[in-house]
Amino acid sequence: MLSSVFFYLFAGICCLAGLMVVSSRNPVHSVLFLILAFFNAAGLFILLNAEFLAMLLVVVYVGAVAVLFLFVVMMLDINYSELREGFQKYRSLGLLIGAVLLVELFATFFEYSGNVKSLPSPGAVHNTKALGQVIYTDYIYLFQLAGLILLVAMIGAIALTLRKRSGVRKQVIADQNSRTRAETVKLAKVETGAGVKEAS
Amino acid sequence: MFYQAIVFLPLLGAIAAGLFSLRQQNSAAIAVSVSGVVISFILSLFAFAHVAMGGNTEIVSVARWINSGTFEANWQLRFDTLTAVMLIVVTGVSSCVHIYSVGYMHHDKAIARFMAYLSLFTFAMLMLVTADNLVQLFFGWEGVGVASYLLIGFWYHKESAHTAAMKAFVVNRVGDFGFVLGILAIFTLTGSVSFDAIFADTASYQNAVITFSGISLPALEVVSILLFIGAMGKSAQLGLHTWLPDAMEGPTPVSALIHAATMVTAGVFLVCRMSPIIEYAPIALDVITIVGASTAIFAATVGMTQFDIKRVIAYSTCSQLGYMFFAAGVSAYPAAMFHLTTHAFFKALLFLGAGSVIHALSDEQDLRNMGGIWRKVPVTYTMMWVGSLALAGFPFFAGFYSKDMILEAAYGAHTGVGMIAFWLGCAAALLTAFYSWRLLILAFHGQPRASAEVMSHVHESPNVMTLPLIPLALGAIFAGWAGYELFVGHDMAAFWGDSIFILPSHTAMEAAHHVPLWVKLLPIVLATSGVLGAYIAYVKMPHLPAKIASACGGFYDFLFNKWYFDELYDRIFVRPAVLFGGWLWRRGDKGTIDYFGPDGLSALVGRLSSRLVHIQTGYVYHYAFAMMIGVVVLLSWYFSGFGR
Amino acid sequence: MEFSQITISAALPEFILISLALVMVLIAAFAKQTETDGEGSIKLVRTLSLLGYFAAFLALFSVPDGRIVLFNELFAVNDLVIYMKGLILVGAFFASWLVSEQWGEGVDRPEFHLLVLMAVIGMLLMVSANNLISLYMALELQSLPLYVVAAMRTSSLKSSEAGLKYFLLGALSSGLLLYGASLVYGFSGSTNFEAIASSLSGGASVGMIVGMVFLLSGLAFKISAAPFHMWTPDVYEGAPTPVTALFAIVPKVAGMTLLMNVTYSAFGNITDQWMQILIALSVASMIVGATGAIMQQNIKRMLAYSSIAHMGYALAGLAAGTSEGASAVVIYMTTYVFMGAAAFGVIMTMRREGTPVEKISDLAGLSASHPLLAAAMMVVMFSMAGIPPLAGFFGKWYVFLAAVNAGLIPLAVIGVLTSVIGAFYYLRIIRLMYFEDSDAPLDDGASHQNRMILIISVGFILLFFFGIGTLSQEAVSIVSVYF
Repeated sequence: MLSSVFFYLFAGICCLAGLMVVSSRNPVHSVLFLILAFFNAAGLFILLNAEFLAMLLVVVYVGAVAVLFLFVVMMLDINYSELREGFQKYRSLGLLIGAVLLVELFATFFEYSGNVKSLPSPGAVHNTKALGQVIYTDYIYLFQLAGLILLVAMIGAIALTLRKRSGVRKQVIADQNSRTRAETVKLAKVETGAGVKEAS
Repeated sequence: MFYQAIVFLPLLGAIAAGLFSLRQQNSAAIAVSVSGVVISFILSLFAFAHVAMGGNTEIVSVARWINSGTFEANWQLRFDTLTAVMLIVVTGVSSCVHIYSVGYMHHDKAIARFMAYLSLFTFAMLMLVTADNLVQLFFGWEGVGVASYLLIGFWYHKESAHTAAMKAFVVNRVGDFGFVLGILAIFTLTGSVSFDAIFADTASYQNAVITFSGISLPALEVVSILLFIGAMGKSAQLGLHTWLPDAMEGPTPVSALIHAATMVTAGVFLVCRMSPIIEYAPIALDVITIVGASTAIFAATVGMTQFDIKRVIAYSTCSQLGYMFFAAGVSAYPAAMFHLTTHAFFKALLFLGAGSVIHALSDEQDLRNMGGIWRKVPVTYTMMWVGSLALAGFPFFAGFYSKDMILEAAYGAHTGVGMIAFWLGCAAALLTAFYSWRLLILAFHGQPRASAEVMSHVHESPNVMTLPLIPLALGAIFAGWAGYELFVGHDMAAFWGDSIFILPSHTAMEAAHHVPLWVKLLPIVLATSGVLGAYIAYVKMPHLPAKIASACGGFYDFLFNKWYFDELYDRIFVRPAVLFGGWLWRRGDKGTIDYFGPDGLSALVGRLSSRLVHIQTGYVYHYAFAMMIGVVVLLSWYFSGFGR
Repeated sequence: MEFSQITISAALPEFILISLALVMVLIAAFAKQTETDGEGSIKLVRTLSLLGYFAAFLALFSVPDGRIVLFNELFAVNDLVIYMKGLILVGAFFASWLVSEQWGEGVDRPEFHLLVLMAVIGMLLMVSANNLISLYMALELQSLPLYVVAAMRTSSLKSSEAGLKYFLLGALSSGLLLYGASLVYGFSGSTNFEAIASSLSGGASVGMIVGMVFLLSGLAFKISAAPFHMWTPDVYEGAPTPVTALFAIVPKVAGMTLLMNVTYSAFGNITDQWMQILIALSVASMIVGATGAIMQQNIKRMLAYSSIAHMGYALAGLAAGTSEGASAVVIYMTTYVFMGAAAFGVIMTMRREGTPVEKISDLAGLSASHPLLAAAMMVVMFSMAGIPPLAGFFGKWYVFLAAVNAGLIPLAVIGVLTSVIGAFYYLRIIRLMYFEDSDAPLDDGASHQNRMILIISVGFILLFFFGIGTLSQEAVSIVSVYF
């Protein structure tokens, strides 16, 4: 009983927050609503006894991803009202498509009979431990695949953003440390009133 | 590997020569094409020894080709005696012609292209004779047609060459149409196109019928006649012969190779190859006999009156092909093949000799402008004599054995049509001797009728042109004597093996050996009188021909204008076709199909296209929107119940 | 789970490529740091990746025959998968071989080859996917590097835009796919293909069909079937040309194979249902591809539409739902790889004064200045238009034959009509090359590898009809695992 109350609470707030993400005028508000939605989703996971996933959601999505979004949104200067105008033009068609989709998905869920086997069976094992038991054994293939994807993401990000620019002075610490006095200091005898001819 | 090489070496030669021709490397092109064909000839000799003399039939697989449903055609080469004989003829003559062309075409800039075409032709011809199924045979059949088109029109800047090439192609299409229908009929009848499968049980189809728009016709007769129509087109038989004389517009080596020795005999080969079917079609056999005999006499009468040296020989070819066909028509296939072989030698010899004459006289082809050159071109002159003696069938020359065999077989058939063929053949033999010596006398003897300048340039051809004539001449002299026993004599049954089938009740071959003496002597007498006739008409009384011509007036014109075949076809087919085509083009194409089809469709496509470009805005959210619409439409399709 | 002999040999190509990729990461990273000019390292990396594709191709022969399921049933190989992997590796080899070290456009970096290699690994795993999860993961492993290489030309706004668009829409399509996958999981109780198939033995529930629609929509994006094709022209045009070549040659093969795997093995019991989706996608793609290309001025953009149309034809074979149709798709994809390689073999030699040009009108007068190149392009265009006896003709022929035999005559008719329309713009290129003059001829001298690729692929197209009998029988036997 209590769990259904909380389920509808979390789910309801999650849906509302999602709606606000797309409808609020201020992009910073949108990101904050996104964080709210994440928190509620984490709450839903806890109701399902999946504490590990709940924590993961909070740590990764709220702690890292959403904060990154916030920075990006604040740093980019985008005229949102202009963008919104484009949306206005297609609002009626968009609403129609959305409504049809919604009706169809509702119809789908009334059909649901529920034959999913829960995986893995909770039993006596803590679910974080249960995850750990399968992820390096039964699902090592997927684990390695995920590793490759992350590697690609890293290489890709570097490849797209790291570029050598000519004419940019960079600090190379090793060079600085390896300088000797002989190659940097030059003694010159300067006659009075004649000045220094070569500056280098 | 060895057998494949025979067929594919000329193809390699053709490709290499074609590539060399792009870079104007003439000598390299000549070297590859000639060596390809010559090696192929040498290999053919071994193949002949193994297959024909040894009595082994070889089937060599090249590749799996088309397998679609029940239609199965594998690419296999079939080497039996029939093929082996053709191999020798094709590669032998082709080798001589290749070498001869080196000299004949040496002043032509496009010689590399010419050699490539020649080799390509040789390949296609080899594909034709080694075919193991009808589709492959048809491939070779069309291949030689294309090569012939290219070679006739080789001097494409000449309007007449161009037209002749087109004519050859179009007239052949008529025959090919029959051939294709024949192949289809065989496939529906037997469910296969492979020779082994078709021939396995032909006797059982004897009573099968083909029903076409309510009329039932005996299947084997229909098939045989359709195939024969194909053969008529390729072998220039009466009715579909009009392209052959015009084809002489091509370079002379081409005439020798294609329009005398090899391609035109493909029809005869086809009839012999299909003998297991044709043997069960008595009506078709009679048709073949009649058409062959009529062609023999028709072409001979026209040949008497022509003045173009090559056309005379072309009509002679036409006539000799007629002999081969009526031999096949009386079930004397071995005799037909025998004549095919000997004819290849002496006719190629005559053509190449004629080429040499033309070459000597600075490209003069009209007999009326020749004469009096025999001392200056002794080798050519001798060769022409040998060729003519063989053609006229003088004793112990090649033509004697084969032509007499055909006439004896026609007599020995003891049928009505056989007798008609015999008498027409005899008459043609007389005319053959007459026009052969007419040609010899007009070309070499008498007063020189060419201009003094031309006469001063008359010279014997270089060795590269005369040497290839020697093997051909040897063939023209000895081929008949050497091949008689094998081809049509006592060893006949062992030699041909299963490659030719003759019903036991058709005894023409056997009866040919037991004809009365006068039948054997008559051709010789006729040939001699033909020669005498020519001698009288053109040496003793040079004014006689003109007198006869004017006396016979209309009849002479009738012959001179080739029985008005070309005019007739022009009136009946060409002009109405042009008119009808014009009408179709204006009303049908432009008015109906274009209006609703291409024009209407292209307008529609144009509108659709600009619409699409309009939708492709470049905005990501438009694209995403389009995707979502796609998903929703697909879902709605199911939800609305259509998808069940 | 144990690593046995079978595991090693069945997944050997992937093992080889993954190990190579890790080595290449190090090479790329350290070569950069020591500042050896990048030049040497890209050469090394490129050669290594080519060797890798070759070695992986050879390793395919060590894969045992028959169906093998590995890694807790997440990964499966069978004859069809092996064949398609071979095709992918051949295509990848061509695509990498086409890029010379000095190409420019941002792809003259070791990371390019590294990312392409990663994408190829993703494709191989994708083809082998036997579970919705491994399907999704492999798909992402394939897509992610492709997003990056599309944007690789950082100096060009168009390239960045292409990459971004591709990424955003790709993310949307992944969303659709995941949503569909979750529905399928929910209604069938498993993510394993066999388990899904057995749950469908009594017919499909509404939820299954909705899930399938989403799933197939997500996959349709990957093979750029209309209406999920919108990204294609923009990305093809914006991406650096070698990347476009890669897009045009390889990922479609993997996507199509994955589609075959999903439809035939997971949804094999509800053929009647998914056939309708594929028919719709096929018709839309054929029409969009054929008509969209007409107005294009950029040859890469035109080829984008052309590839949409090609996917439409291939889908027509798949939509037939018969073993004949599946084998037709195998034949079609085989010809597609070689035609793509040949087309880009020509396009990547198009330079004027050193800089690549990509307008269709730049081909004008090619026959006069580069006769052999023009001839090669003509063969490719004729083949794409489906003129017999070139390879493209047989692809179309078998596909339409399968459609007709499955009773989809309207589909075949639309297919033939759109091929006629398509022939228009292929022939337009030939007309340009042969009958129009150009003021400024293109540069001389195709590079060595371009010439080799052209010889191989054009030779393949020309001589294809000798092998079609063998190939069609082979195709029937390799798709027999699904029937």
